[in-house]
Amino acid sequence: MHHMLHIKNGIVIDPKNGIKAEKMDIFVKDGKIVDESEVNKSDCKVIDASNKLVVAGGVDLHAHIAGGKITMGRIMRPEEFRIVRSTANKLRATVGRTLLTSPAIGYEYAKMGYTTAIEPATPSLFALHTHEELDSIPVVDKAALPLFGNWHLVFKYAAENDIEKLKSFIAWVLERTKGYGIKIVNPGGVEAWMYADNVHSLDDTVPGFDVTPRDVILSLVKANEELNLPHSVHLHCNNLGVPGNYETTLETMKLVSSFSNDKRQILHITHVQFNAYTGSSWKDIGSGADEIAKYVNSAGNITIDMGQIVFGHATTMTADSPFQFALHRLVHMKWINKDVELETGSGIVPIVYRPKNPVNSVQWAIGLELGLLIDPDKVTVSTDYPNAGPFTSYPYIMALLMSKKMREKEMENAHSYLQKATNLPSIDTERTLEEIIQMTRVTPARILGMENKGHLGIGADADIAIFDLNPETLDPSNDYELIQKAFGSPAYTIKSGVVIVKDGVLQCEYWGRTFWVDLKDKVTESIESDLDEYFNYYTIERSNYGVEERWIRNPARVGGARWYNAED
Amino acid sequence: MLKIKPKTDFVVNVEAELTPELATMDIEEVKKFQVFYGKLKVALEELFEVEKEGDDKVLLLEGDFSRVKWIGKEMEDGEIIIKGNVGVHCGAYMKGGRIVIEGDADDWLGAEMSGGEIIVKGNAKNCVGCAYWGNLVGMSGGKIVIEGNAGSYIGEKMSGGEIEIKGNAGDFIGTEMSAGVITIHGDCGFVGGEMKGGEIRIGGNFELVPSFKKVEDGFVGDVNVGGQGKIKTL
Repeated sequence: MHHMLHIKNGIVIDPKNGIKAEKMDIFVKDGKIVDESEVNKSDCKVIDASNKLVVAGGVDLHAHIAGGKITMGRIMRPEEFRIVRSTANKLRATVGRTLLTSPAIGYEYAKMGYTTAIEPATPSLFALHTHEELDSIPVVDKAALPLFGNWHLVFKYAAENDIEKLKSFIAWVLERTKGYGIKIVNPGGVEAWMYADNVHSLDDTVPGFDVTPRDVILSLVKANEELNLPHSVHLHCNNLGVPGNYETTLETMKLVSSFSNDKRQILHITHVQFNAYTGSSWKDIGSGADEIAKYVNSAGNITIDMGQIVFGHATTMTADSPFQFALHRLVHMKWINKDVELETGSGIVPIVYRPKNPVNSVQWAIGLELGLLIDPDKVTVSTDYPNAGPFTSYPYIMALLMSKKMREKEMENAHSYLQKATNLPSIDTERTLEEIIQMTRVTPARILGMENKGHLGIGADADIAIFDLNPETLDPSNDYELIQKAFGSPAYTIKSGVVIVKDGVLQCEYWGRTFWVDLKDKVTESIESDLDEYFNYYTIERSNYGVEERWIRNPARVGGARWYNAED
Repeated sequence: MLKIKPKTDFVVNVEAELTPELATMDIEEVKKFQVFYGKLKVALEELFEVEKEGDDKVLLLEGDFSRVKWIGKEMEDGEIIIKGNVGVHCGAYMKGGRIVIEGDADDWLGAEMSGGEIIVKGNAKNCVGCAYWGNLVGMSGGKIVIEGNAGSYIGEKMSGGEIEIKGNAGDFIGTEMSAGVITIHGDCGFVGGEMKGGEIRIGGNFELVPSFKKVEDGFVGDVNVGGQGKIKTL
């Protein structure tokens, strides 16, 4: 299945390797990008990329694509599945409006030139479900981040400030869940929800534990750094979706100001749009994007993703149960609440973002402000799929970031309240093609610590997207329709050296890998008695908890800085 | 007028979005009109005899259409007369015109319809004028009259229009309805759960969910959702 490829005459943009729109050839062998000398040119399949843009495959570091939540969302929303995307032929049939079936997720990513996607919130108890579902998503490479921020054992170790045991526990969880990194959602708040409450600041005490959100975040960051995980702590802040919450977000960012890491950020704050509001109620909500952008740009150890609103249908689904309940009360839509034993919770509520709604228009503008004001090496494109919109709208978002004219056209349809509540109308920045490639490839790969993703250097995974865009003649501020169309319909999407999409049409089924971080050697005896004690309160036995590697279709271990496939 | 008659007893369901629009088309075009027989896409003439008489925007369906789905889907004007029973989703999303069913109707009669009129001389089954699963709004306008009995789920999430049932009906009448009128001359089961507005009039016996308040001329609720729906006896 793996051919040698010779991608000829393309115009390459590869920001990580300093290549700015240069005409050059790229060679692929065994799923990797190799030097010209490594291939026998006469055996190569030649791909003519003349006058076309050649870039690395896109990396989505935050999309809820698998696991209990999206499945419950699908069950709750039959109305989402009346739209047929493709009928069965040699590939599988796909359906879904904005909530998609698993095959649709893989295919739709490929049809945008994206080749890696991360499921960012997996309750460890349901990790098997998550992996079964990730195994049903074709094309892309993937990974899952287990949830730590409301786990009773994490509270216990944070309260005791016992970082050694916490590290051992994290290593145990990542091994059992085949997880990739540490996700925190509303630390302490989901536990408080068990008592019909929430936490409202970093210093509220979590009910039943002598610990605050501040302690939980700091302990997990410390442990994450000492374990030297490829990804940093991935945080959904407290007070999400509450007017005035930008102050909590800033305070959270400042928590880690004394930490640094040469390779990557210390803290990734996700879907910041939902955490960047000023004001005291929905009536005077405004944008705090300016303040957040200033801090992120100067701090150097924080990265974010946008959480960009897309007008239309969406389904909010987070582990942030108290927020989901508040949203249910606000929009009067159906609601699912779920308690995940000692670990976390979750909630699901459908939503429609309307351009004429003043709050929605402000939310839409804040996402773009973040994408335009923050340095491209610190912010990446996301819609927090399916919370703020479908990931299939990335081409639309990329075009918006590149064209002020397009933003003005969209703002004409949006509620005029955004004109006074945000700075978007006065932002003249137009992202260049290189910056957009940085924001959708290089930056997310670096944030995730995936060294072989997001670039086209020798040794990188041969995940390549070729778009019908000529950087030499393109005028992004006027050609926004062309940009949106081209990013939504690649001339080629190549995954691990296999041509998956040609001229916007899927060519074949392909199964990507599931990355997980192997820290088995960091699991110590010290947590054994705690684990045994806690499993007295679980509905399942400890021996039945977790996912064996052989159950996963294409597992790929990441140990320390070394990457290897399980079969190696 | 276009006459359509099944050629055989169908062994699997037929999906045929037949609307009065067909009566205005050339007969050769009509014969080639695409329908589904099970999973097979076939021309109308393979399953039905079609005959054109004059240019009236009327479909006359003769014979047993009880396995034919989606008749009158999204129709805007004209008339469909069915001289027999009809299958599921008859008159779904209908916007105008008239459907007369001389036999019985199946489930999902007039689902999410917004205008026009449906008259059933026989009985109807479940989900009359309802919202499709998951959708927020059911029937929003027009009128459905059923001379016989109807099944359960009548006018769920209804936001306008009128449903009249001259016989009895099953459970769950006007669940989550916000406007419009449902009239049942006979008996029925549970009525008005999560009703927000509109009116339900009942001639016979019925069961009320406990979250309604007694007022002078009937009941008001559902208080669980702050509803102002009215339930009256005829």
